[in-house]
Formats: sequence, structure tokens, C-alpha cells
Amino acid sequence: MSQQKITFESPSFFKRLKSMLSVDFYRLFHTPLFYIFLAIAAIIPAMLIGMTNMTGPNGEPTQPLFTNVWQAIAADTPIYGFEGIEKYANMNMVFIFGGIMVSIFIGHDYKSGYVKQLFTTHAKKEDYMISKTLACAFAMASMCISYILGAVLAGALTQTSFAVNVGNLIFAVLGKIFMSLGWASLYTFLNVIFRKYFGISIASSFFFGTGILVIGVGAMVGNTPVLNLFLYGSSVFACLSSTAVNALVCLLTSVFWAVVYNAVGSLVLYRSDVY
Amino acid sequence: MNAIEIKNLSKSFRGMYALKNFNMTVPMGSIYGFIGENGSGKSTTEKLICGHLVADSGEIKLFGKEYTDAGVRVRVGALIENAGCFPSSSIYANLKMQALNLGLENIDEEIHRVLKIVRMEDSINIKFKSCSLGMKQRIGIAMALLGSPSLLILDEPINGLDTDGMRIMREILVDITKTYGCTVLISSHILGELEKIATHYGIIKQGQMIQEISAKEMESRARVFVSLKTADMQGAEKALKAKFTNVKVEDGYLRVYDVDQTETIVETLLKSGHVVSEVRKNRVGLEEYYVQLMSKGGK
Repeated sequence: MSQQKITFESPSFFKRLKSMLSVDFYRLFHTPLFYIFLAIAAIIPAMLIGMTNMTGPNGEPTQPLFTNVWQAIAADTPIYGFEGIEKYANMNMVFIFGGIMVSIFIGHDYKSGYVKQLFTTHAKKEDYMISKTLACAFAMASMCISYILGAVLAGALTQTSFAVNVGNLIFAVLGKIFMSLGWASLYTFLNVIFRKYFGISIASSFFFGTGILVIGVGAMVGNTPVLNLFLYGSSVFACLSSTAVNALVCLLTSVFWAVVYNAVGSLVLYRSDVY
Repeated sequence: MNAIEIKNLSKSFRGMYALKNFNMTVPMGSIYGFIGENGSGKSTTEKLICGHLVADSGEIKLFGKEYTDAGVRVRVGALIENAGCFPSSSIYANLKMQALNLGLENIDEEIHRVLKIVRMEDSINIKFKSCSLGMKQRIGIAMALLGSPSLLILDEPINGLDTDGMRIMREILVDITKTYGCTVLISSHILGELEKIATHYGIIKQGQMIQEISAKEMESRARVFVSLKTADMQGAEKALKAKFTNVKVEDGYLRVYDVDQTETIVETLLKSGHVVSEVRKNRVGLEEYYVQLMSKGGK
């Protein structure tokens, strides 16, 4: 038997990350999960807007949920406490369904045992966290776009008003899309923490995704911009009266939490058994 | 340089030690048969080497470098327990993901190369969940072989396979080790199969290495014996015990240990009126060596 001449070349962080990202994006595009959630994201606003023009049992018009298509994308003003379904039911719901998608996406890594293959080779724990966060953020951002397309199509079909300040709308949409990164990092973190318990991963993602904690605090302390420090707060802050400041706040909050969750998640993975 | 060097490694699960001050040395280029009872710590050791578990204490070096070094890790391929594949994805997609993870170039070429080694070139588009256990194990090996690793860690690759599956797997393993010359750490319960390929052995008991030995050394240490059959086994045993110190009836044969003079034994029996119907010179194999070692308490 001949002995191999071995050379060791440590791949750089960027090379490692590129490898991991290639795996995650390949998986994302080659499994039905991503496309199913894109479809779900498009169906939700269509259903909400469809409800706008519904009639009562005697044919009388009901109180419309939205008077404008873009209200299905974001609320007119940032309202952190719960003030009725029409203020709550907007593109923020993508982040709830996105959480379930991330749970399934990451959960399958552990359920199938594929994570063994990843960590046997050169992949470091931080590569895993960052790559999963970025791939899932991309998936959620895509869901946001799918949501908008669903809303526009349903609005056109139901002849709902499209009147809006385009600048405000662009900043609101940008803000929501920026938030995908922060939400994806939270869900990646939760799924790493509960990696041995698939059901708890999904339940925890759903729980945090609803923004129930911020809504609760909002109900107690009122509409305070301090709540923008949190993911749900900033997601609400991206509203139809948004300016560049709103979008910037969303970006900063999102990046801040992404860094925090990735750092803590990597630390957890380094200090505990993979499975 | 050793491929694997482990010093004083300990790992516990909820206060119970799976490994305690465990030491191991796997020479480079060897096929290291890792043997031990169920729960002795074989899989734990392999998972620690692969970085799946976090050790309580101790040191693991691969090719003289820290085992977490990315440059070293990229040279490791493993099949631990089962092939970690996505059931609904095809064999090709699963292999492609691992090839991407390794950052390989010429991915399709590489996938076809490893599938050829494990004799599965024609199954490339089959979904993983549709594969038999034997096929799944072979896919696991193919996955571990991507990128031509310098160290291959295989945890019970033969377990659960039927006779034909075992034969194919053995042929694949012999092929890999002879052709590609990488260091292989392989754990198995099927010692007869292991004996055919291993160049070194490590025997683990209750989380501690009790013996590391090369196949050559084991052969020289292994006791020789003459086994024979006569019509009257009890009478023959009595006659032989008068002349030889270590005579036993085992597995329906009369065994005379530590003696290789077949002629003297046959002559002794003939003189005492016993006709020998079958006689064979033998050496204690891996399985018996292992059983004897364990019965001595691993000393």
C-alpha cells in the first residue's frame, strides 16, 4: 500500500463560507419547501384583500379590512400594541411563516444526519450559523416579494385602490426586506438551541414570530420608539409613512440582532455536542 | 507521523464516562481495526475525532495538527452510524451538496468517480429513500471518499448487511485501501471481515484502550495449535494430556495448544490406539484473540 503525500492548505473564512453558502442555496433551490412557502406568501395577501370586498349574509357590504392594497403590505403608522386585525395582518406575517420554513430547513439538517457531513469537514460552527442565516434571509426576502406580487394581483382583481406615496412605500418595503436578516438569524439561533427537538423549534419560531412579546409590552407601555430595538418593533416601524430613517432603523436593528444571534449560536455549537 | 494521535481523552454523558483517559495511535497509511463491545466507546471516539462531540479533556491530533484545524479537516472523510443524506433528494443531489461543501472543482467528474468505486454508477438518479441498506452504506462511503481524503473513518460499515452486501462492502474497502492508500479507521463487530483487511488493531473496553497491536505482531503472538478429530475424543484427550500440557476440546475438535509438531501428536495417538480422522495445524485468529483478551480482563 502506498502512502499519500499529504499537503494541508487551510481554506480561508471566505472560501469556507462560499462552500457552505453553495450547499445551502443548492438545497434551497432544489427542494420543494422554498417554492411552497413562496406560494403561501403570495396566497396570504390575496386572501386578505379578497376578504375586503366580501358581502354579509343578506348581500350587504361588510366593513372592508383594507381600503387600499398597500395596507396589506404595511400599516399606515407604526402601532406596536394590537389594534385590530387590519393593523396586524400585513407583510410581517411573512416572518411568522418564514420561521416555520427556517425550522423545517434547519431541522432536516439534523433529522437526516446531514449535519454530520458538514461538521466532519472543514466547516466551522460560525460558517454554519452565517450561511444558514443568509440563505434563510434570502428565502424570507423572496417571500416578501412574493407577498407583494400576491397583493398586487389580488388588488387588481378586486379593483381595490392602489393610491400611495411611492417613496414611503419603497422605504416601507425596503425596511421589511431588511428585517428578513434579523428574523432569519433569530430562527437559526432558535433552531440551533432546540436542534434535538424539532417540534419545539417550530413552536418557538412561531411564538417569537408573532411578535407577541413586543405586542404585550406595547400594550402596557404604549407606542414608544424604544420598541424599535426589537425585531418585531422595527418590522412594525416599516410602515406606509416610512422615510429613509425608518429603513435605516430596520437595517441597523436587523444587522445588530443578526450579529448577536450568530455569535451566541456559534458559541453554543462550539460548546455542545452537534447532535 | 501518525494519522491519529489521541492522548488522555475523556468524554462523559450526564456524569457517566464513555471514555476515560483514552489513548490511541493510528499510524499513517494503516487500516486500523477498532474493536470493542457495544457501548465500549468506539462510536464516541470516532464522533470526537470527527468533531461531532465536545471532549471533556484530552488531546486529539490528526497528522500532527490540532484536529480542529480546517486544513486537516478538509482531508477527513467519515461514515458515522449512517450516511447523512436527505431522503427525498437523489443520490446525485446528496453527493453534490457534499462536494460543494468541500469546495471541490469538477464536481460531476468527482461524483462519477466515487460512485464507480462503490459500484453505483447506474443509480445516480435514485432517491436516497428508495435505496436498500447496503446501497445507503455504499453511498455513505462514496460521500466520505469525495475529495480523496487522507483519513477515512468508518463506523460499523458492514453492520446490518446481508452476506452479499458484506462481500461487496469488503471488496470496496479492500479496493479503497489498496488503490487510494489513505489511512482508514474502521470499527466493526464482524471480526472475521476485519481480519481480512486490517493492518493494525485497537481494542477498547469500557472507554479505555486495552491493547494496540499490529496485525504482524498479533500473528507472531497468536498461539499456534493442532486441532484433530478421532472416534473417541475423551480417550484421545486423556492420552494426549499425558504428554502435552495444554489440551482442550473446543468446537467439537481436540486442540493441542502451543505445539506445532503434528507428527508427534499423531504418533502418540496411534500408539494409544486412536485413529486420527482429521488433523490441522492452526493459529488463533482475531476473534479468538479478542475473546481471550477480554476473558483475561483485558490485561
